[in-house]
Amino acid sequence: MRKCKVFVGSSHPELGKLVCDRLGVEPAPCTLKKFSNGETSVQIGVSIRDEDVYIIQSGSPQINDHIMELLILISACRGGSASKITAVIPQFPYSKQSKMKKHRGAITARMLANLLVMAGADHVVSMDLHASQMQGFFTKPVDNLFGAPTLARWIRHNISDWENAVVVSKNPGGTKRVTALADSLKINFAMIHTDRRRTQDQYSKKKALKQSVNEDDEDDNIVSEIQTARIVQGHVVDDDYPAKEQAVKQDASHLERQAILDSDVLGGSYDAGNSDDEDEPTSLSQEKLITLVGDVKNKVAIILDDMIDKPSSFIAAAEHLRLNCGAKAVYVVGTHGVFSDLCLESLTESSCIDKIVVTNTYPIGKERIEKYADKLTVIDVSPIFAECIRRDHFGESISVLFDSLAAIE
Amino acid sequence: MPSSQNSIKLISGNSHPKLAEQVSKKLGIELAKVGAFQYTNKETAVAVGESVRDEDVYILQTGCGETSINDFLMELLITINTCKIASARRITAVIPNFPYARQDKKDKSRAPITAKLIANLLQTAGCNHVITMDLHASQIQGFFRVPVDNLYAEPSVLRYIKENYSLNDLIIVSPDAGGAKRVASIADKFDVNFALIHKERQKANEVSRMVLVGDVADKVCLLIDDMADTCGTLCKAADVLLDNGAKKVVAIITHGIFSSNAIEKLNNSKLDKIVCTNSMPLEDKLARCPRLETIDISATLAEAIRRLHNGESVSYLFNNAPE
Repeated sequence: MRKCKVFVGSSHPELGKLVCDRLGVEPAPCTLKKFSNGETSVQIGVSIRDEDVYIIQSGSPQINDHIMELLILISACRGGSASKITAVIPQFPYSKQSKMKKHRGAITARMLANLLVMAGADHVVSMDLHASQMQGFFTKPVDNLFGAPTLARWIRHNISDWENAVVVSKNPGGTKRVTALADSLKINFAMIHTDRRRTQDQYSKKKALKQSVNEDDEDDNIVSEIQTARIVQGHVVDDDYPAKEQAVKQDASHLERQAILDSDVLGGSYDAGNSDDEDEPTSLSQEKLITLVGDVKNKVAIILDDMIDKPSSFIAAAEHLRLNCGAKAVYVVGTHGVFSDLCLESLTESSCIDKIVVTNTYPIGKERIEKYADKLTVIDVSPIFAECIRRDHFGESISVLFDSLAAIE
Repeated sequence: MPSSQNSIKLISGNSHPKLAEQVSKKLGIELAKVGAFQYTNKETAVAVGESVRDEDVYILQTGCGETSINDFLMELLITINTCKIASARRITAVIPNFPYARQDKKDKSRAPITAKLIANLLQTAGCNHVITMDLHASQIQGFFRVPVDNLYAEPSVLRYIKENYSLNDLIIVSPDAGGAKRVASIADKFDVNFALIHKERQKANEVSRMVLVGDVADKVCLLIDDMADTCGTLCKAADVLLDNGAKKVVAIITHGIFSSNAIEKLNNSKLDKIVCTNSMPLEDKLARCPRLETIDISATLAEAIRRLHNGESVSYLFNNAPE
């Protein structure tokens, strides 16, 4: 490709290499390092005057360093008279902070969008933005690619009984994403809702409702199944589990931070459980009710989300599907495998999860992939990004990439 | 609407809580209940625990930390943005040591002017005013479209010198040609001589040869600079001065960055003393280097904040150090 340079940031060099290989270009030479005082240093080793520049930088565990590196790279390319600068950000960092929670929250994703545009980005390419409304944060064009076609192909090729599988959303906020995948695979979907347990009575009521539903509507398609169970400390428990809340031993630092988050001065709990998609329990000791709407009995359940970040809700959902609802197998599928902390360890340890499938938008260390290879599958999405860059460079439409993989096969 | 009824909200970033505490004490106010923390995926998040609506917000965050300088920067940006969204009347970033200040020019082809980028980042986040100290190049003020108050550590340094050294056998030395102006101004105020060391650099942070201009024989040399990072220059300058007959050499610097093995270098050097301001957190370094001393500049910052809030002139602080 003439008049085109692809720079690969240090967050995810493997993905950048794959994209470059696919495009048949070498990554443009640049030196990315840090000064001894910790400041990020960028040197661009090739002329970019009047060229079409693509910079590939994803989220990573050193997130702020890599954001600064990206901003400095963009700014250096702008200063070096590049004609057009496209930031390719497979996993957009801070995308969960895309709305104001409670009062006085930061909309960091919008600020980051402003920072990118200010640094000099003319175009942004990302994949499965946590909320597609985020495209509106930018004053420049944004192409939000989809991981669903890639995931759908994997499901078709690797799950033997996929025609009878059920795609499950682990929270109401993700239902749209789940129905889209279910539609494209032409299979059923189900939804899980987790709410804070208020009284024992309410649970009994729901239990009674469930039984009545089961008795009355054997073959009714409308309310096919409602399954409710209790979660204590992030795990599904039996009905006769003591209701008394258990004191959980937590280390001091955790308690302290929890205190900041929960204290009244901060206007109650910072990340209240009622937000639609950030459903991580603020305190694991709290007892909750988990409800499945839909039927997964003797079927393969595919829990789909855009990001696999924290494990607890996935594990709770998987346990509920497997132990209470009779699912044959449980697959956890997501576009961005962020796996913060010990997430991957906890997920692979859970006996209720049969496989974890993610794409390579977010860097997962090679050792980790090999270590958990029996359960973890990482799908390569570099062809989509490569094709997007190629089409963008030649001014062709990229909408064919949204629905199918036909363009890259 | 009475405009004077809003009050100062001082927010401390995680980079230098001790300085923030000192400033808040000098101002006689409590620190605002704002906390920055990291999610498990290492994203920074900020919780603002009290109303900042229509208040005059000051956020103190210095550029420091070999592994966390970018984290602190993002934290500052997010805090600014949070306050902006929460309808603060004015947001002032108090950045004693401006990060990336040395990347201020296009010295090579396609080199980024990162200091300019930082200026733009701060403004994009929503910063209305910047207070900083001893900018590496005063031109950085021109990178901003909002007002920048570049405070000087000089008055505090002058007082320190007056209190600790006799002027009779004193000579002020600049470790490089760029600092000659700063040194000349201090020498003028005390009416003492100054000398200059010219260094030939081949690579950044590496000094090859030094030439002394001026007579330092039998004098107490005060090496004065705006920042000390790896300290290679300072240690070599001390050697050059002692070789030329200096009685003893003391380094006085504004921003003590002391990255990588600077402290070991200082411990092995012939410097009598190293004095720097507390614009950066130095607790662990003070413990490791008995020759390190600090000058407190929290009073200058506090007075600047007070004057800015009340709409008084800040220029008084350019020549006077408040107690």
